Formats: sequence, structure tokens, C-alpha cells
Amino acid sequence: MVEEFLKIRNVSKSYAGVQALDKVSMSIGKGEIHCLVGENGSGKSTLIKIITGVVKPDEGEIIINDKTFKHLRPIDSISEGIQVIYQDLSLFPNLSVAENISLNQLIEEKRRLINWKDIKDIAEKELSNIKREIDLDERVENLSIANKQLVAICRALIQNAKLIIMDEPTTAITKKEIDYLLSVILDLKKRGISTLFVSHKLSEVLQVAEKVTVLRDGKKVGDYNADELDYDTLSFYMSGKKIVSSAFSYEEKPGQKAMLEVKNLSKKGDFKNINFQLKPGEIVGLIGPLGSGRTELALSLFGLNKPDSGEIYVDGSLVRIDSPQKAINLGLSYLPEDRLNQGLFLRQSIQNNLVVTILKKLLDRFKLLSYERKYKYAKEWVDRLNINTPSLEVAAQALSGGNQQRVVLAKWLATNPKIFILDSPTVGIDIASKNNIHNVIKQLAKEGMGIIMISDEIPEVVRNCNRIMVMIDGSIVKEVKAVDITEDELFDILSSSQKR
Amino acid sequence: MMTNNKNFRIQRIFAQNESYLLLIIIAYSIFVTFLNPSFLSPGNLFNLSKSSASMGVLAIGVFVVLLSGGIDISFTAIAISGQYIAVNVLIASGVDNIFFAFLISCLVGVGLGAINGLLVSYFKIPTLIVTLGTLNVFHGLLLTVVGTKAVNSAQLPDCFKAFGATNVFTLTGPDGVNYGLSIFTVIFITVALLTWFILKYTMLGRGIYAIGGDVEAAERAGLNVARIKFFIYCYVGILAGIAGIIHVSLIRYSNPTYLVGTELSVIAPVVLGGTRITGGVGTVIGTILGVAMITLLNNSLILIGLSSFWQEFFTGLIVAISVSLSSYQSRRSVAI
Repeated sequence: MVEEFLKIRNVSKSYAGVQALDKVSMSIGKGEIHCLVGENGSGKSTLIKIITGVVKPDEGEIIINDKTFKHLRPIDSISEGIQVIYQDLSLFPNLSVAENISLNQLIEEKRRLINWKDIKDIAEKELSNIKREIDLDERVENLSIANKQLVAICRALIQNAKLIIMDEPTTAITKKEIDYLLSVILDLKKRGISTLFVSHKLSEVLQVAEKVTVLRDGKKVGDYNADELDYDTLSFYMSGKKIVSSAFSYEEKPGQKAMLEVKNLSKKGDFKNINFQLKPGEIVGLIGPLGSGRTELALSLFGLNKPDSGEIYVDGSLVRIDSPQKAINLGLSYLPEDRLNQGLFLRQSIQNNLVVTILKKLLDRFKLLSYERKYKYAKEWVDRLNINTPSLEVAAQALSGGNQQRVVLAKWLATNPKIFILDSPTVGIDIASKNNIHNVIKQLAKEGMGIIMISDEIPEVVRNCNRIMVMIDGSIVKEVKAVDITEDELFDILSSSQKR
Repeated sequence: MMTNNKNFRIQRIFAQNESYLLLIIIAYSIFVTFLNPSFLSPGNLFNLSKSSASMGVLAIGVFVVLLSGGIDISFTAIAISGQYIAVNVLIASGVDNIFFAFLISCLVGVGLGAINGLLVSYFKIPTLIVTLGTLNVFHGLLLTVVGTKAVNSAQLPDCFKAFGATNVFTLTGPDGVNYGLSIFTVIFITVALLTWFILKYTMLGRGIYAIGGDVEAAERAGLNVARIKFFIYCYVGILAGIAGIIHVSLIRYSNPTYLVGTELSVIAPVVLGGTRITGGVGTVIGTILGVAMITLLNNSLILIGLSSFWQEFFTGLIVAISVSLSSYQSRRSVAI
């Protein structure tokens, strides 16, 4: 029996009548690697805030190291060894590695003067404790994300961390970097330090986590051993719904020509010798880890990343796509991966977001913007994609992730594309909305659109595409029909080729 | 392994903006000396270091603000306020003492700086807007409340003139002309050293760097961000007060409409010295080299025989080029 570091007993919290947490209990053992999962709004962040003492629970108790706290304050939580590493890591990009690691400690000691030897000594000692090396004088902004995470972990350890809570640590890093992070976590485990991952991106974390606690609508669904879970059961626990996703069926019509063909496309450092075809009505999955060149390839097709060599044919004729404008004119659309930064004007109304791609169509006979037409167009798309909003005037940032993604989709669909490139269309969206968006995509394909779907989630491509291309280190290493491959086989291809 | 490390260090030195700037200064000095041999004479160099001191002190202040991720453009109004009020108080009270003048000017400076600091740190108003506003408020108040009449050399208390003529040591050149190290230069160097010490060896200074890097992370780390920002604007105020007195002692004339309008020529050397306009990165040495470069440029334009109107053109050009260059560099390093 593992000794317990943290126990939470029957903790409840409500905000303005909304029950954010309802009698939740969980425990984390010493040296345990635990994962807390749940969709947005399930109460994950409230629970973390309670553990760190930032939010006071309405009832229930928190037991750390056999000490029972009725009113846990942030300072108690820190002095008991609980440290949070936020998603943005909270590092100082302009300062050296050594200073980033040591600064918090010096602030805590209330030092007024700085001794640079101390700073280096503290950092050096902690790095050697976790048996890793980073150049102490390097500025943090020049480090890889994996090393930045390492710096953040070191900083937490210096403050005597017994439990490190990592908030969505794997969202922006490559497979290799995740492996590196996990190896560090395993080393910490040997020292008796526990880790709590908070995540909704599961596949990687499930490999290393021992225990998983699932939250849904403020209630605990259950505690599970990680090895008894798979993607489907976990999705079910998280969403509470059995999602029935029908596989995508594509029937090739004889004699149909490719609408998009890429021949020997190369760009130094991004991808090399890419060849593929896309026919009307197809959904082609492009799967590969972050950094495999998949996004760069998509950008090249959309005129945002000039390739060095190779040819692109649209409807059989050779084209040069050197700007997004040209791509749009050729009937291409691109749904960017980073929806918040590249796909939406967050503070603008839904209406304005929806029509931004088709403003030319909305002009009246005086070449001025017609508000009537604008409203009509926006209304039409909100209805067609089931965007759930009280009004068209609501700012885009007020919508849930799933609805935001539908706004972005609608915005591009309004341009009437023939070829639609979707980069990670369901990242960060809850499971029910995911399914809804998948159905929209399949419907579009049935209507004759050609779709390229970029993803790093295996089930997503296997269940929604008719053909799958696997991209590793800038090359397409395998191309296969979706019906000819299982999710496990695809997983093996992806992980084996990465170890090379 | 060892050699590797060493190479790394050498690479790092060469990657620094300061070393490039130093090379450019040396090359440019040689070029100007060819055109006009009197440029490199000790007399001219000592003179340059004297006349650039007030710009240098102001630049150090601007450097600290830029480092924290903010900007202050009201410092010229603060400097001229400190100067003009000090001169008038000295005349009215009959106390002819330079330390008294410094005291008054610095008090005015720290007071006006505190107003900036308050608006920036506690009301969280963007620094450009705050200081653009206070620049006009301070200057407008000075002109309406204190006066608009210039104080000429004859009316100016003697202590300013004596202070302006003070040399720490004096040498006589082969042509019989005296030259020496002005007290102004010593003040500039002292201010630079003090600022360097604060930035490098105090928690306050590291806090300034930290805020410039990531304000939110600084707050999470437990730094008192509001207090640090308040200090910064007060510090700029004091430095502006010092610069105001140096300025009047140099030109022996106090006109309340001077200095205001020259903000860019003080920001230029700081940016040129490698301080990132978005904050977090920059060194005192870089700022000193930037001041040296701009002074050199302005002086050489005259020596070469170009009209002084070109100064304005070149100052603007330098800011534009150095900001684009550093933005290009940082984008390239992200791409890699």
C-alpha cells in the first residue's frame, strides 16, 4: 500500500448557485503519477485551486501529509510542498536558466542583494539532482519547450516540491519532448515526488500515469488504474455519452480525376518529396506528430510557406500558389490549427467573424457594405452549423470551444471552397462537439468537397477518413486506406518510426 | 568539451549587440579622423564627453523604463521643470549654492515621476498614454504657473556657471589650450555605475528585468510589481532632475521651452545600444555606447560640414534601423 501524500475528502464548492464541485474525494500517493481528466467545465480547475489554497471549499477537508486542513491557505499549500506548473510555464524568457531556477527561492528568502554565485550554485545543484544538463547562462527564450519545462520543474523542486501539478503540459510539445518530460517525471517518482497531470489530451499521459481520476459536471466519475482504460472507455467516462460515430464510407466514382495533385513538393527543413492526390468527396487524413512537417505542408498548399521545388496541380492544371488570396481563388480553404490566434477575431461579434471572408459578396449597388445581407448570411451559417449562441452580436470569445470552431468552419465554408484543409479541427473541444464537427465534415465530403484533415489523434483519422497518410520527419512514410488499418496498427507505425 | 565551451563563450560575446556597436564606433571614428584630423584630439573628446553628459543621464533613465517593458516620454518635461524651478528658486531666495539647486531639481523630478508611477502602477494605464499626457500636463503647468521668461547668462546665479566650468583635472595641450575631465562626465559615470549596480546586484533590479520579461510570471513569483514600477518612474524623475541642472550649467541659459521635443534623440541611443523596445533585454554598457555613437554622429556631421538639421534626420533613421534590425533578429531566432 502506497503511503498517501494528499487526500481530499468530500470537497464541494459552488459559485453563484452553480455547483462546480460536488462531494469530490481523491487521493494521491507519495511518488504516484496521477492524472486528473475531465472536459472543460468539469471542475478540474476548481479542484486545483482548492488544492493550492487559492479557493476555499464550501465543505470537505484536505489532508496533506496526515495534517488536516479545514482552511488551506496558499502559503500552507506551498510550504507543504505543492507546486503548480502552469501551461505557460511562467518563466522569464529574457533571463538566464540559472536565474529562472533560483529567483523564486531568493524572493522567498526576502533577499535584497543578489549573489550571482548563489544563483548558479542553486541552479546547478538542482539540475544535477535530476541528472539533467542545460547551459546555465543561456537565455530561456532560446531553449526548446522540453528544456523550458525542465527549468520550470527545477524551480518547483527548489521550493521543496512534494507534489508537482502540471496544467495541460502536453498541448504544445512534440512526441519526443513528451517522452523526455515523462522520463523526468519517472525520475522524480524514484525520489518520492508525486505528479498530477491535468489534461484532456490523454494518449501520451495514459502511457505513464498510474491512476486516473475522471471528473464530469463537478462530480467524480471514478478512480481508475491507467492500464484498464482505453480511448473509448475514457471518452465515455468523460462525456457520459456513448458517442456513436459512423465510419466514413467513400465510394470512388470511376473515371473521376484528382482535384488536387502534389508532385515532389519539397521545402528544406520542413518536408521533402511529397506526392499525393485528392479526389472529390474524399477525406484524406494526414497524421503525424507535432514537428513532422504536416502543418508546414498545409501552409505551403495555402500560399503561406513557399516550397523550394515540386508542383501543385488543381483540377489538372499546374498552379503556383504564392498567396492565400490566390489559394482562395483556386477554391482552397485552410482552417488553421491555432483557432484562437489565427482563426478568430476574438473580440469581434460572431456576425463579423462569419462574414469576414466574403465581404465582397455583401456589397450593395453603391459598393457599400449591406447590413441586411451581412445579417442574412451570418444567420444562415449559424443555423446550418448549429452554432449555439444567444445572438449574432455576441463576441466570439464568449463562445465555448466547440462553437468557436464551428464559427471558424462556417467562415471558410462561406467562401464555397472545393478543397478544404483542416488543421487539427477538434483540438481542445469536448467530445460531443467533436462528434458534431466530424459529422459536418463528412457531410461536406458527401456533397463533393475534397478534404485534407490534419490530426495527431489516431481515432480521429481512422474513424473519419477514407485514406490516411502518415507523415514523419517531413516525409510521407505510409499511405493506406482507412478500412485496411486498425488504430493499434497505426499507433505502432507512428511510435516505431519515431524511435528511429 | 573545454574548447567547445570556450567557443560558445566567444560566440556569445560576438552575438551581443554591444560588441558590434563598439566596432562601428571605432571604424566610424577612424573615418571621421581621416576627413578632419582635429576630431580625435583629446580636447575634442573631453568636450564631447562633457556636452553629452546630460543626454547620457536622461538615456540611463529611459533605459531603465524600457527594460521594464514600459516607456517614458515625459522625462524632458520633468528635466526642464526641475531646472527652471531650481533656477527661479535660487534667484528668488538669493541662495547661490549648486547643491541646493540639485536638491530642488531632484525633488521636483521625484515628485513628477511619482505621479507617473502612480498612474502606471496603481491605475494600470498604458505607459505611453500616461507619459504622453503628463508630458503636456507638466510642461503646460510649468509655463503657465512658473513662467515663460528665459533666464539669461547675466541673471543666472553664479553657482551654475562655476559648476559648469569645474574640471576634475585639467591638462594643457601642446597648443596652449586647456582641457580636462568635466564634473559632468563624472556625474554621468556615477549614475551609470549606480544603475548598473542596482540592476545587477539587487532584487529590485532583477525585478525590473523580470517585469520586462513577463509581468504575469513576475507577479506569480511573488515580486511586488506595482512597487517596482513606482520606483522606476521616480528614479527616472530624479535622473531627469540631475540632467536638468547639468543642462543649464552647460549652456548657461535657462529657457522653459528647451528640451521638450528632444525625446527621440534620447530614446535613440538607448535603442541603438541594444535595449529591446518590448522590454527585458538591455545593458548599461550598451546605453553608454549608444550615447557615444549618437554624440559622435552629431559632432561629426558638424565637423564634416553638414547642416545640423541633418541630425534630426539621422537620429530618426537610426531608431528606425535599429528597431527593425532587432525585431528581424528576434524573429529569425524564433524561426530557428
